[in-house]
Amino acid sequence: MSDSSELDAFFGSKRDERPLGIVLEGSLSTGLQVKLDPRYAIEKLAVGRYVVIQSRKTGSIFFGIITDIALGATTPDLLHHPPDASDPFLLDVYSGGVAFATLHVSPMLMLDDADDQPRPIKTIPSHFSAIYEATAQDVARVFGEEDEAHFFIGAPLDMEAVQVNLDLERFVERSSGVFGKTGTGKSFITRTILAGIIRSGLASTLIFDMHNDYGWSVMDETGREYKGLRQLFPGGRVSVITLDETTSRARGSKFDGILTIGYEEIEPEDMEMLASLLGLSDIQTGALYFLYQRLGKKWISKLLDEQHEEEIQNMLDSGRIVGGTLGAIRRKLESFIPRMGFLVPGEGSKVVDDIFQRLNIGTSVVLEFGNYGNTLAAYVLVANYLTRRIHASYVHRKNIAAGKKGEEPRPLVIVIEEAHKFLDPSVAGHTIFGNIARELRKYNVTLLIVDQRPSGIEDEVMSQIGTRVTCLLDNEADIRAVFSGVSGASTLREVLARLDTRQQALILGHAVPMPVVVRTRDYDQRFYAAIGMDESDDTSGAKPPSEDKLFPD
Amino acid sequence: MPESPMMIGRVTRCSTRGFVGAMQVSVKEVPVFGSFCQAEAQSGRSHVVGLVYDISITDDHFARQIAALEDVPQEQIADGQINRQVPIEFNALAVGFRDDAGFHQALPPRPPLTLASVFSMAPKDTVDFTSELHFLQTILNAPQLPVDELLATTLRLSAQIRPEGERERFLLQAGREIARLLAQDLTRLENILRGLRSEG
Repeated sequence: MSDSSELDAFFGSKRDERPLGIVLEGSLSTGLQVKLDPRYAIEKLAVGRYVVIQSRKTGSIFFGIITDIALGATTPDLLHHPPDASDPFLLDVYSGGVAFATLHVSPMLMLDDADDQPRPIKTIPSHFSAIYEATAQDVARVFGEEDEAHFFIGAPLDMEAVQVNLDLERFVERSSGVFGKTGTGKSFITRTILAGIIRSGLASTLIFDMHNDYGWSVMDETGREYKGLRQLFPGGRVSVITLDETTSRARGSKFDGILTIGYEEIEPEDMEMLASLLGLSDIQTGALYFLYQRLGKKWISKLLDEQHEEEIQNMLDSGRIVGGTLGAIRRKLESFIPRMGFLVPGEGSKVVDDIFQRLNIGTSVVLEFGNYGNTLAAYVLVANYLTRRIHASYVHRKNIAAGKKGEEPRPLVIVIEEAHKFLDPSVAGHTIFGNIARELRKYNVTLLIVDQRPSGIEDEVMSQIGTRVTCLLDNEADIRAVFSGVSGASTLREVLARLDTRQQALILGHAVPMPVVVRTRDYDQRFYAAIGMDESDDTSGAKPPSEDKLFPD
Repeated sequence: MPESPMMIGRVTRCSTRGFVGAMQVSVKEVPVFGSFCQAEAQSGRSHVVGLVYDISITDDHFARQIAALEDVPQEQIADGQINRQVPIEFNALAVGFRDDAGFHQALPPRPPLTLASVFSMAPKDTVDFTSELHFLQTILNAPQLPVDELLATTLRLSAQIRPEGERERFLLQAGREIARLLAQDLTRLENILRGLRSEG
């Protein structure tokens, strides 16, 4: 018999209460079937809750999660001969014996006698092992304490006193994703996590903020105002760079720079990502490279204005490009580029270096799109443009460091929304984002993708997403996508489908010891204080309402 | 049920699986269908616990003659009932035994001897014996008995002699044990369970 003192020390005093049930059936790959003791009401249990299983033979402790709940009977005849429902005695006799409840439990962690840390399971408990509801103490020990590298993200279901802490080092070590239907609070959760990352200093973040959800003064649907990252970190740890100066000023956003991109800085690779959005065919996309090669750096100006017709004509005469193709390209560029106020003739503001410097000293940068956030092509263009170049700087820096001639670049997390536009199977192969996801952290750059359609993301890329924070999803394909590449995760399907529409998320993967359903922490005054925001620095307009709940009932 | 054990007859025939006892008629003492009794075995060192499942009165030619008469005086009926040549017999199923260590719910190692005394079982002992329910399986397995009625009646009686606060719990426990044994035959189960509740 095992020495149980270490187990006791880890998991608290021995359980005296009667077990929830006993293990009757199951396998490592599909989980365990548990018959519920008739003393317990099945209505008091829920999928997503934690249970502890004590092996009958070795005393080892398994830590698992309830993934399904079912009713069963000793004989199928019960359906044809149910007891008389008006006789409570009959019903009582049948309950628990002839008719019973079963739980499906997915064991996740195991604590052996010899260990003091729980480890992923490689076996299962023996027949008739007893199952208990996990206590707050059990859960707290698995999820650890909050410290510089562990960030309090929320509490498990029905355990408000317990803190679930995200391992931030592991979170930024791989690419990660926040998923969920529209309206489930993805951007609130993302902002919370980013606040934790920024505070910890473990990585810089570059956030492509499509709808003004991250930088300054965020509004929800009810018009309630919340602080953006720039306001949470007024001391300079977060910079806001805007594409749309007018809108930023109108909103009262503080910003630290204005991004413009010169025509001469645009390369064919930047336009290629927009091919489907602009309606460019394969031939036309290919022709862009030819045009760049022939017309040089000023190719965009030459195509847009009318002053270089002779050069254009020479090109046509050479026969290497067809008039129709050229015309189509010109028309499409004309319909797009002049509308984008941040695209300017000439060289632009040379902002890439500036952003890179900020990132490298540990400042996070929020790219505010203003009104341009409503134009998907603008978002894709700028995100692609900047990321390609910043990534190239990182590669350069990293290679220099490898040659011992310089310092390693600071770890960077790039945050993109609508990720399926960048990572769908038809483009993921050759976009910078696909490459970043696939190269893991070779050059100290990872992604944090925020998306409501994970099924639109290429499988191979999805499998590189280390940590997945998932709010409610109801599309089968999306649910499958979120679980792809995570072994044994499909048993969590019911758990995911039963999340509340707001402020609940299932977190699984690299940054947590085992999958957990959390009620995410409120984004309110207490959070601001916890992050360390100094009220006296707050120069935003309206005073935020006190003790505000995230999503009012 | 008498409060302290009373002798109700003597064993006439027996085997490991049960015994038959014969008795004099006396209204107070006639064993009731579904009640427990104890027969001495091994010279009193142990007692076989029997469950009464049949009470029979064989006819004799006196009874037949009197029954055919038109007007029978009361004394003659009483005389015919009490002073019988062929006694009243009761059949009991062996459901356990009692020795120095207490009650056991298993077939007795030795049956009672001929003419061994048979006693009714005191309520306290009945409560003690029925706190275990393995004997239900013995009843179910017995051949040529009114098994379902016996189960229901025995348990109902055992519940009634318990204090009021414990009756429900006992019946529920007993019901669940029967459900466990008869899970495959829900119609039969339901009938027995109904029998547990109805007043006899």
